[in-house]
Amino acid sequence: MPQTARSEQRSFMTGNEVVARAALAAGAEYMFGYPITPQNEIMHYWRRLAPRYQRGFLQTEDELSAGFACLGAVLRGKIAFSATAGPGTVLFQEPLSMAEMMRLPVVVIVQQRGGPSTATVIYSQQEVTLTCFGGNGEGLRLVYSTSSHQELYDYTIKAFHQAWRYRFPTFVLGDGYQAKMREALFLYNPEDRGMGAVPARPLLGHKGSNGNGEPQLHLRNAFSVEEELAEILRKHLADFDEAAPYLEEHEFIGEPGANLLVVAHGIVGRAAREAVEELRREGKKVNFFRPLTLRPFPEKALQQALANSNRSMLVVESAQGQLGSLCRLASGHEALQRFDTFYRPGVGITTEEIREAVTL
Amino acid sequence: MHSWKVVVAGEGGQGVQALAESLALAAFRGGFEALYIPNFGIEQRGGVSLAMVQISPKAIGAPKFLLADLVVALSARSISRTRQYRGANTIFIYDSSLVKAPEISDEVVGLQAYDTIAPEAFAERTAYHEEGPVKELRIARSIAIPAADMARRELHPRVFNMIILGAIVAVVKMVTLEQVKEALAEKLERRFKADPQLRELNFRALQLGYEQVAGPVHTAV
Repeated sequence: MPQTARSEQRSFMTGNEVVARAALAAGAEYMFGYPITPQNEIMHYWRRLAPRYQRGFLQTEDELSAGFACLGAVLRGKIAFSATAGPGTVLFQEPLSMAEMMRLPVVVIVQQRGGPSTATVIYSQQEVTLTCFGGNGEGLRLVYSTSSHQELYDYTIKAFHQAWRYRFPTFVLGDGYQAKMREALFLYNPEDRGMGAVPARPLLGHKGSNGNGEPQLHLRNAFSVEEELAEILRKHLADFDEAAPYLEEHEFIGEPGANLLVVAHGIVGRAAREAVEELRREGKKVNFFRPLTLRPFPEKALQQALANSNRSMLVVESAQGQLGSLCRLASGHEALQRFDTFYRPGVGITTEEIREAVTL
Repeated sequence: MHSWKVVVAGEGGQGVQALAESLALAAFRGGFEALYIPNFGIEQRGGVSLAMVQISPKAIGAPKFLLADLVVALSARSISRTRQYRGANTIFIYDSSLVKAPEISDEVVGLQAYDTIAPEAFAERTAYHEEGPVKELRIARSIAIPAADMARRELHPRVFNMIILGAIVAVVKMVTLEQVKEALAEKLERRFKADPQLRELNFRALQLGYEQVAGPVHTAV
């Protein structure tokens, strides 16, 4: 496979280009997509770069088709992905529910825009619930929330690996700011960092153990008996719980004895981290927690962070409590001392605003 | 100053985004952390185009901010549009050839003509919300550059934004004219190749703007 990046190349580009380059570096073979702002340039860059590396691209007639085309490619053992946003993420739910049911490792990059409906093409963090739990099922998905171009590159590559390793549909949740802004990052070839190839292989068409081949997979999407469904879901849920400790990731800054834990994810995490670091330099006892996986949510890590922060938290997000709900659920049985919120649905949040929102 | 938060605003088509991108790219090439973010959305449909650039020796936090160290306005409308980013420590560069006299004085900026409301102002910002008539804040320094007039008279109307960029470089100082020239050459490679005069025109405009702030620069021939 021709190398897609010179080793450790420091570059300055938009987040959308970062995603296209990460997908190339990870060895993605096909992108199926339908245009929507603010992810369009992922498609544009991919379409421009893909032919140089013998990769494929198809613009489908809508997001449903893009999603199902990904499923088809993945069944054939091809590393496939798509990218979408806002109303597109809504349309993606049907193929993604099927991917959950059949455990198909599709990767989707979501660049959140304002909602509900068409709303803005700009930015929000309002697609958290949709990305984690948008299907008619149990949210058997892996969701990474990135906060910088470096993470966008690292975790887009990782998404392909984890999707195929654990066979859950996997998301990289960015936003319009990350999509459109330019900043520096290191591009690299995953092999140079000791990462092997994405463990992709055909999921259908095996000869079966009777023919001395791999056992055939029986991937079902429809059941005639309740108990049949229950049995397979039990297995999927058990797999998800078993994998969770290996999948969960978070960032924590702080130490025991703090008065407050500021929690934010994605791009808002940058503002929150900066605010907390400033306050800490001024001697304030504030800690910082950022879930890097929203699904599975780093529950134990959050509880530990809360134990170090007087069980008091301030949740900051560009949505009306979507992260807040996840945090409440993950905070454990013991009552919280404080649950403060700074919710700005559909609007960016600055460091200065978070500093003002912190009361000790 | 150890880092810069810059807001650039103008009409769609004035080259606001290209200007801001080139500044950020030059800072990146100069070894600094740099972050550029456009305010995209309505500007393609006739609104004010706005870009934010941060330059720092350290990792950069949030991509957007409330108050800028430097605000640059390329049109009359963008003076009022950027008002919210100007505080007591802000330096303000504006194209004085596009702005009517009463709209600007060195002490008080943008008294008149609030013909657009900044979209950001729709969102409630608890800490900075003001009731009643809005008072203009004093700012640190105001720099008037008649860029459009200068470009028309001395170079070509289309490079007026490069005059402004030259002035920005003279204020920001963390990037050099040479780095900005390299960034422009990188960004406009194809257009410069197609029309070598364009390259010369842009570089002369940069120099002109720079000298408006820093005074004449004698370059070795």
